[in-house]
Amino acid sequence: MRLATRKLLDRSFSGLGIFSILLMAASLVVILAPIFIRGSQAFVFRATIEHRRIVLDLFGRGDRSAIDAEWNQALDARRPVWAMLEAFRKELEEKPLAERRNFEEPFKSLEILIAEYLGPAPGQPRPPLIRMEYGPARWEQAEQKKREILFTEAFDYSDPTKMGVKVLAPRVNDFKGASLEPLFPYIEAHAEAMLRPRLTFYWGFLTDESHDAHFFGGIWPEMLGTLYLAIGAILFAVPLGVIAAIYLTEYARQNWLTGVLRTFISTLAGVPSIVFGLFGLAFFINTLHVSSSKSVLAGSLTLAVLILPTVIRASEEAILAVPHTYKEAALSLGAGKWYTIMTVILPAALPGILTGIVISVGRAAGETAPIIFTAAVSVGAPLALAETLSKPTPALSWNVYNLATEHQKVDQLRHVQFGMVLTLVLVVLLLNLGAIIIRARVSKKLKG
Amino acid sequence: MVGIETNVMVGAHKNQAHEGLVRRRPDLLISQGAGLKRRLAALAGETFLFCVTACGALAVLFIFYFVLKDAIPFFQSRGFAEFLTSTKWFPSREPAEFGALAIFFGSAQVTLGAIVFAVPLGIAAAVCLSDVLPFAYRQAVKPVIEILAAIPSVAYGFFALVVLAPLLQNQGGRLLVAAAWAIGGPLVLLAAVVVGDLAGQRASEARRKTVQTAATIAPLILFLLGLAVLARYLGGLKIESGTNALNVSLILGVMALPTVVSVSEDALQSVGRELRDAGYALGATRAETILRVIIPAAGSGILAAVILGVMRAVGETMVVWMASGNTAQIPEPWFNFLEPIRTLTATIAGDMGEADHVTGSARYHVLFALAAGLLSISFACNMVSEWVMRRQRKTLAGG
Repeated sequence: MRLATRKLLDRSFSGLGIFSILLMAASLVVILAPIFIRGSQAFVFRATIEHRRIVLDLFGRGDRSAIDAEWNQALDARRPVWAMLEAFRKELEEKPLAERRNFEEPFKSLEILIAEYLGPAPGQPRPPLIRMEYGPARWEQAEQKKREILFTEAFDYSDPTKMGVKVLAPRVNDFKGASLEPLFPYIEAHAEAMLRPRLTFYWGFLTDESHDAHFFGGIWPEMLGTLYLAIGAILFAVPLGVIAAIYLTEYARQNWLTGVLRTFISTLAGVPSIVFGLFGLAFFINTLHVSSSKSVLAGSLTLAVLILPTVIRASEEAILAVPHTYKEAALSLGAGKWYTIMTVILPAALPGILTGIVISVGRAAGETAPIIFTAAVSVGAPLALAETLSKPTPALSWNVYNLATEHQKVDQLRHVQFGMVLTLVLVVLLLNLGAIIIRARVSKKLKG
Repeated sequence: MVGIETNVMVGAHKNQAHEGLVRRRPDLLISQGAGLKRRLAALAGETFLFCVTACGALAVLFIFYFVLKDAIPFFQSRGFAEFLTSTKWFPSREPAEFGALAIFFGSAQVTLGAIVFAVPLGIAAAVCLSDVLPFAYRQAVKPVIEILAAIPSVAYGFFALVVLAPLLQNQGGRLLVAAAWAIGGPLVLLAAVVVGDLAGQRASEARRKTVQTAATIAPLILFLLGLAVLARYLGGLKIESGTNALNVSLILGVMALPTVVSVSEDALQSVGRELRDAGYALGATRAETILRVIIPAAGSGILAAVILGVMRAVGETMVVWMASGNTAQIPEPWFNFLEPIRTLTATIAGDMGEADHVTGSARYHVLFALAAGLLSISFACNMVSEWVMRRQRKTLAGG
């Protein structure tokens, strides 16, 4: 081949490498960007008056008099809507049967939509679910609902070769000639006055309990559950892992037994996470009976087994990274082996061990599969410390799955799902950042 | 190696004989005076450490034991034939059918997809990190890899389900076409140049230029036409659902990338400077040196990287559970990645919720049978990668 061609091939080879690194960075951005952008909308959004009422009613935060005043203004704006509905209902009863049939169906669905948009009219019985007691708490949800009120959706199947095309028709057409016609322009014009949106920073998303299966409130039970699980896992895994690392680096001889131990540990690292879940169920719950059914304790134990290899490997590396001279100096001063380990080697290796622990905490917090059968429930109150021995808990990782796939109103809770994913990712990234910082300081110190 | 003699805990020392001769601090004396008690204490300490370590290591035996214990009743009652050869998976129907072939196939398919995506890119990135980029850039890339590895799998799954799946469903054809041009375009161009070059060298001196130009342009047009046909075909594909094998393969590929990159980079770096210098000294370009010398020398390490990537993809639960469509079927034809599939991990995770209150039934035990299958796959992968790594270390150490 000519030199030019060879050079070209060489360049494109390097180009391929750079391309794949860029692709890796790009996929990181592509994955994190929607999570960060849409996740932040769980915290910062245009909140309607309903949101402020919910926060006041359910969590007792906010200025009652100011909110009441605002609520009255909103009610004033909403009254004409309810009045028009009421008037039309009466009118309908007096109409001849044929005409009434025409209007009955559309009016019924309109009433339901309006109740969802503005909450129940004053004086009506209290609805069974909290989600029916309030209108939409977020402005974009309110706008969505408004569109549903103003337009009906239909599918056009006129072209048989294609799938149905969605067609929007103004709902006002259903009420042609009726006294309800002015309702639609009124809603369109007074949406802001009725719901009074205001840009809000809702920090309570992290610390509020959830109400009505995450329709309102925050993710505190999940936060707490994840915290318990991660800390529990660390409590079990760290002593075991560090001792194992000390044994393997300082005591174990190069024989077949050590080889077998090492093989076991590396096999443990390769076991799929879902199998840990099955193991936790079969061993900790069904055999050891650490709790009668799922519990935080069983979940922590399972996670501890999962992160054990990571802890062992990180601690081993940290201990091996301690300069040999430290150990020799201690031994030459007459210190015994155990004394050397406890006073010289472990303190020097501590930052490295800590790095491993911090990363393992992140791993334990993010794992979902092992806790499905051992610790996680979809809905639950935040647990007190003593309850962790016997009760299951919601957790960030599990509830992301649960809300995104199994919740009955998946589409309406996108902000909660994204907020939860963002929180989980942030927790894990911050832990990793902590690990990176610790490591940087250690390498600086070891350099002198 | 420090023997048991020095394993003595430091403490008050009681050997009177030395006391009179030299005045030294008793705890500086190490081993001469260590009494039987002391030695026993040291031995007990070491035994304790060993027990704790063994306890951690034995966890893996427990896992095998408990999975197999609950898997065996299934095979005893239903045998292996149906489980391994039938594709009919209806655990809750009466009579139940437990054909897991399609499920094993689903796991294999998404793993294959992930590997096809992650291995070339991962090795290229590793080469770039170890041989091409200067040190400062390398340090900047490391956090990207670490973050990719640290993101919880459920976040990947959520992305696959909520962002990627609708995108594939609505824009899938266009995305595939764009990918085909982006990957195929440069490849086609390079291939044409190489063909032209090779043809030019066979021609006589006088006609070399013309032959070369002709032999470059003709294949280029041919290849471009082929690419256009391919793109047209891809653009015409109908994607019924965004939750399919392609979606999962892409995400699993991204998840396997960090493992593949960092393990193969280690392997590449452990090949010494000398081999590289030798390659350059013979007049090879960097690409030639790496492809013909360095990668073969680091071959077993790279193989280990691939195996670890496979393990990550096979064992992943949340992504496949959320975004694979969970349909136990073998797509037609088998390499069709646009159909929903179902994997081992997702089946275990998904069916246990319904099966754990019927503990003891075949429905419960079959999930452990699936887990046993999964466990044996990952165990085999682990053994192979350990063996390969050990061989690599031996070759590098022994020359």
